[in-house]
Amino acid sequence: MTSGFAEFLLRRIVGFAGVLLVLALMIFILARVVPGDPARIALGPTASAEQLAELREEMGLDDPLPLQFVNFLGGAIRGDFGNSLISGRPVAEEIAGLLPATLELVLATLIIMLALGLPLGILAARYRNSWFDAVLRIVSLAGVTMPSFLFAILLQLGAAYYLTDWPILGRMSREFSDFSGATGLLIIDGLLAGRLDITLDALRHLAFPALALSMSGIGQIMRITRSAMIEHQRRDHVQTLRSFGVPGRIVTFRYLLKLSAIAPLTIMGLEFASLIGNAFVVEMVFSWGGFASAGLEAVMQKDLNAVMAVVLVSGCFFVVANLLIDILIGLIDPRLRMKEAR
Amino acid sequence: MDLLEIRNLDLSFTSYKQTAHVLKDVSLKIAEGQRVALIGETGSGKSVTSKAVLNTLPGNASVDAGQILWRGENLLDKTEGQREALKGIEMSVVMQDPLSSFNPVFTIGRHLEDVLYWADRRSGRKSTSKDRRERIAQTLLKVQLADPERVMRAYPSQLSGGMRQRVLIALALMNKPALLIADEPGTALDVTTQDEILRLINELVAEEGLSLLMITHNLGVVRMTADYVYVMRKGEIVEHGPLNQIFDNPQTDYARELIGAIPPLYGEGVKDQPASSEPPMLQLENVTKTFTAKHILRPDHVTRAVQDVSLDIRKGEIFGLAGESGSGKTTVARMLMGIMQASSGRITIDGVPLEAMQGGRVDRALAQIVYQNPGTSLNPKRTVAQTLSVPLNFSGLEKRAHSHRMEELLELVGLPRHYQARYPHELSGGQKQRVAIARALAANPRLLVLDEPTSALDVSVQKRVIKLLEDLRGELGLTYLFISHDLSLMRNFCSRIAIMLRGELVEQGTPREVFADPQHPYTRALIAAIPVITDAEEAAKPLVTPEEKQRFLVSSAA
Repeated sequence: MTSGFAEFLLRRIVGFAGVLLVLALMIFILARVVPGDPARIALGPTASAEQLAELREEMGLDDPLPLQFVNFLGGAIRGDFGNSLISGRPVAEEIAGLLPATLELVLATLIIMLALGLPLGILAARYRNSWFDAVLRIVSLAGVTMPSFLFAILLQLGAAYYLTDWPILGRMSREFSDFSGATGLLIIDGLLAGRLDITLDALRHLAFPALALSMSGIGQIMRITRSAMIEHQRRDHVQTLRSFGVPGRIVTFRYLLKLSAIAPLTIMGLEFASLIGNAFVVEMVFSWGGFASAGLEAVMQKDLNAVMAVVLVSGCFFVVANLLIDILIGLIDPRLRMKEAR
Repeated sequence: MDLLEIRNLDLSFTSYKQTAHVLKDVSLKIAEGQRVALIGETGSGKSVTSKAVLNTLPGNASVDAGQILWRGENLLDKTEGQREALKGIEMSVVMQDPLSSFNPVFTIGRHLEDVLYWADRRSGRKSTSKDRRERIAQTLLKVQLADPERVMRAYPSQLSGGMRQRVLIALALMNKPALLIADEPGTALDVTTQDEILRLINELVAEEGLSLLMITHNLGVVRMTADYVYVMRKGEIVEHGPLNQIFDNPQTDYARELIGAIPPLYGEGVKDQPASSEPPMLQLENVTKTFTAKHILRPDHVTRAVQDVSLDIRKGEIFGLAGESGSGKTTVARMLMGIMQASSGRITIDGVPLEAMQGGRVDRALAQIVYQNPGTSLNPKRTVAQTLSVPLNFSGLEKRAHSHRMEELLELVGLPRHYQARYPHELSGGQKQRVAIARALAANPRLLVLDEPTSALDVSVQKRVIKLLEDLRGELGLTYLFISHDLSLMRNFCSRIAIMLRGELVEQGTPREVFADPQHPYTRALIAAIPVITDAEEAAKPLVTPEEKQRFLVSSAA
């Protein structure tokens, strides 16, 4: 890695840290402006004034706002988001328990997005303006415009009717419910424990939620890949290889693909934000019991500490994902890797 | 028997149900070991002819009649597989643009290996990876790339344009073809690099006993690299004959016009522009421009784009600023327009320092600029009238006088009035540049900065645009700053020239002085590299020693 690229990444990291800071500030302000006293929410309508004052004191709610923010930020950095206003347990603990479920779902979704979107985009470019391209265009448009919960419900209904023994709720079947592994990702834990039946069961549970969640991404990645391929196809370097008799399939699948993968990867980073948003709903439909549906619950119940934590953790997800994608693009494109920051 | 013979080839393109007849009855012969040039202007069908031979035509092309005989056998009767087997093996092409001919995310070696691997497969040869690398290294040495290993490991962006052009030549030579088709090689490069590349092609053709089809619009290049010439115009061969016959005694008006459009470098035809004795209008004193790239992990990188440049441009003169790409010409122009601020030094116009002017930039009515490529400097979505209305809105002219002024401007640049309603894509390259000139004139400037205004145009069009610029200067009393790398054009068009090298001004004077007795070795090298069309001019060029070349030119072989 050249120092130019290291510097590029360093700038990105600093930028992302800034994004998280602003996010933290915004969610903090929001949490303090919305009507409703956190202490009152925690204690319920029957609590006495003394109890309320005591809890306010304990939660630091009487401190000046800037100090509260600093405390909140300091806690967040250490992974301490306070206690849930509803359950009374530490928010961080609750989230940590739910995170693997969502992580598994999101990773599976990303893999499906790439695995379907990229090849379909290549095929659409290769047979552009044919009936095949036209059909894909409509399908991708549907994928992008239809909300993912609709797909979730359709898939669930379809499975319930036609695949009667296919699981449509939860992450795994009841018979395995006492199983737990190191990573919390059931597919991987199953493999690690040598329990292929568990991995298979987890995959079956995962298939439909992940598919529902990936629909809009597939459509986008497909369109972007298609247009990137078509644009690069017109370039001189394609002419060069063709003029020397390198077969079209090699030019397409080796040379064009690598160059054209940059744009969809970038899109994937951005798509990540809406992915988390959509996961909130899809998890609910499939009773996934993940971090996202817990976030939704926290919002509904005004569990402000939990809401702040969920937002910040989602933000971290987004930032890390984009950083990884930047590194990946750097690996693909030497111009980025070697660029002299101008 | 000829190596290649094209007989009465008719070819057309069909797009959106419209058929364009691009080649009409084209016949051409290349004997074994012969060097043939195919010349013509943009869109004349030169490249299409070569693509028909190579079998790389786009899908919407169809051959309507004629034959392409390769060693006596008609290629058009052969199967796709048989034609593929010739590609890159029996006949190879040297691609035109070294900057875009490689995929940026693969190494040079990857490109070369894939080409060689598939060529071997098609011709039924067995080869190992080691064996192929060996052959690639040898070919790279042949094109005078001193360190093949490094070149193979490099990504395209890590090599200079000249080096990439050499790799493109190596790509063509790798399978020892019988015919080399060179499509405008080196056109995208600086003149000194182009000169090196053409010499290299010449040497290789002689050494390897190749036949050469040189496709070019540059007659100087033709004189250097061909023995027999075909002149093409609008899809037809209008004239052909041995080099000397075409150059000394052209039979058709078109060929005469084409040759006549080349500005002479030396000899009787050279035009001296009158020198201006007026006081200086624009003065640059010790102007320097540096760019600093800020870094976190290592020291900041400082680029000196322009260093300590002093010059003055007198009223009414055509001041030429010459130099190769990256020499700082355009940076100077931008600074004196006030678009960019000088890091140090003084720029004064009519004795007023630039920073004392409103907004730190030149008044619109003082200086305007015409850019290199009218294809990109005009907004494709706006009509000529809309384009012209922008500067008119700032000119202080009343709205209702605009249309009258537009007509006046179009008349000035020699375009019909009704062109106001046209979009750029409905205009030819020359017409577009005329619109760009009209736009620059709209605010009645006194100084016009012309940044390579004709380098994107064909020579015959260039001649007419230059004529227009000369007329306008007389009519409107304009002063020009003419930026170009085309020294033969500057010899005839400028009243004074200055040569820039890596941000510094190395020589200044009237073209007569500078060309007769260039002082700086770089100037000599630059003049010596210009492809000329007569032996007399070639003989009149200044001499440069290899040591001087080494000192002042960037080698494309390293």
